[in-house]
Amino acid sequence: MTLIVSGPTGTVEHDGGVFHPEQPARIFSVMDGVRALELDDEIVYPPTPKAELSDLSRVHSVSYLRELEAFCEQGGGDLDPDTYARADSWTAARRAAGAGLAAVAALEEHGDGVAFVPVRPPGHHAERDRAMGFCLLNNVAVAAASLTARGERVLIVDWDVHHGNGTQSIFWDDPNVLYVSTHQFPLFPGTGKASEVGGPKAVGLTVNVPLPAGATGDVVRSAIDRVARPTIEQFAPDWVLVSCGFDAHQADPLSELALSSGDFAELARIVNGFTSRSGRLALFLEGGYNQVALQESVTATLGALLGIDTHPVAPTYGGPGMQELRAAESDRERAIDQLHTLNPNVEGSR
Amino acid sequence: MSAPQSIIVGFDGSEDSKAALRWAARLSGAMGARLRIVHAVGLLEHAGLSDHAVARRETALQVVTDAGVRSADVEWTVVDGDPCSALLRMTIAPESADLIVVGSRGSDAHAGSLLGSTSLELARHAAVPVLIVPAERQIGDTAPV
Repeated sequence: MTLIVSGPTGTVEHDGGVFHPEQPARIFSVMDGVRALELDDEIVYPPTPKAELSDLSRVHSVSYLRELEAFCEQGGGDLDPDTYARADSWTAARRAAGAGLAAVAALEEHGDGVAFVPVRPPGHHAERDRAMGFCLLNNVAVAAASLTARGERVLIVDWDVHHGNGTQSIFWDDPNVLYVSTHQFPLFPGTGKASEVGGPKAVGLTVNVPLPAGATGDVVRSAIDRVARPTIEQFAPDWVLVSCGFDAHQADPLSELALSSGDFAELARIVNGFTSRSGRLALFLEGGYNQVALQESVTATLGALLGIDTHPVAPTYGGPGMQELRAAESDRERAIDQLHTLNPNVEGSR
Repeated sequence: MSAPQSIIVGFDGSEDSKAALRWAARLSGAMGARLRIVHAVGLLEHAGLSDHAVARRETALQVVTDAGVRSADVEWTVVDGDPCSALLRMTIAPESADLIVVGSRGSDAHAGSLLGSTSLELARHAAVPVLIVPAERQIGDTAPV
């Protein structure tokens, strides 16, 4: 199977300094993880032009895009207590979003393989008209919207430790996008309850599985396999895009889930099973702030998809969260039933 | 139009947020409204990596007391999220706050731009009134009594 690496971007630009965890060094660790696969010149690196305003405006308001561009032109600054922009951040963010579009195009051109999009700044917290959570433009949403614009159905699996509030809100009422998120809760950004199930035209097409601190890989796998799988199979996606954060790793400094690199390999195998055919899976880098964990997890994830045994750390078991999974299933069913009861005309999946 | 019954005030430990809290405390006292002090915890603060002022409950309650309001009459609430989103979520059920009070410049301020300004973002997005307390004024001289 061909590995398409659409990137890296953000290796120099958009630099908030060594004390900010979302820093260029992350990308070097990620690419060390790619190199550890020892595929060398077998990897396809497509050109990655910047995303155009017409691409970005499918998911962001034009006023926000203009404001962000102007903010950066004036030198940038802090957008909130977590999120910064620099003079070159507008360009960096457009490059990151463009790399996602290039990944989709490359998959179509090759007809098979898997695409990895190692970019920064990350994207899944960015909302239609707001930056937050280290994110300026929503990279995975830009790619998904380019596909739905031509009638494709897109599954987005978000296994970053933080809920992808931006992606959820952008596709909240879109019947052509199924958004599935596993995340630590409570934790930033404070959204992602199981009772958040989608808008009137897309009831059930948002699947949130909040997990307690300390949850291990077996819990996350069950969340996708047990809670989300029926909805995914009913939805029957044409494309599978992954918001592929590695901050659910037990060594990550920003959160408290307990996954190993081997767990990411297992998750990759599961989501690969959701694709309709070869060449329809792309993984977008989101979070992940321990450099060693990043490198090992990238190697394990891509190795699992390519059939390369990279000898990752063993998957984890036995942490808390199974009880919360059952509660999430109940909360979700109750929320969907309530929406159908309140308005029998709502559309979507049970 | 009815008087506010449930006021929330954003507090990040900055001098501007203290000024907003003084104003909110006196306003809630004068109107008999419920007052909740809301502190939003972001990614960096959760990890102990924030270089901004640390917002502490004790500091906030001292500001309330200094404003002549009993600290027992206000509530301290910690919410995950960025300040704007956290405050907006507090305005919908079941929290249902009906007035937001914030300082005009928080610790995330960037002069001259809508982006980077919690107060202006709130003014744009909130479905309830937003009271923005001027930063440079001596609020103690002008707050409601």
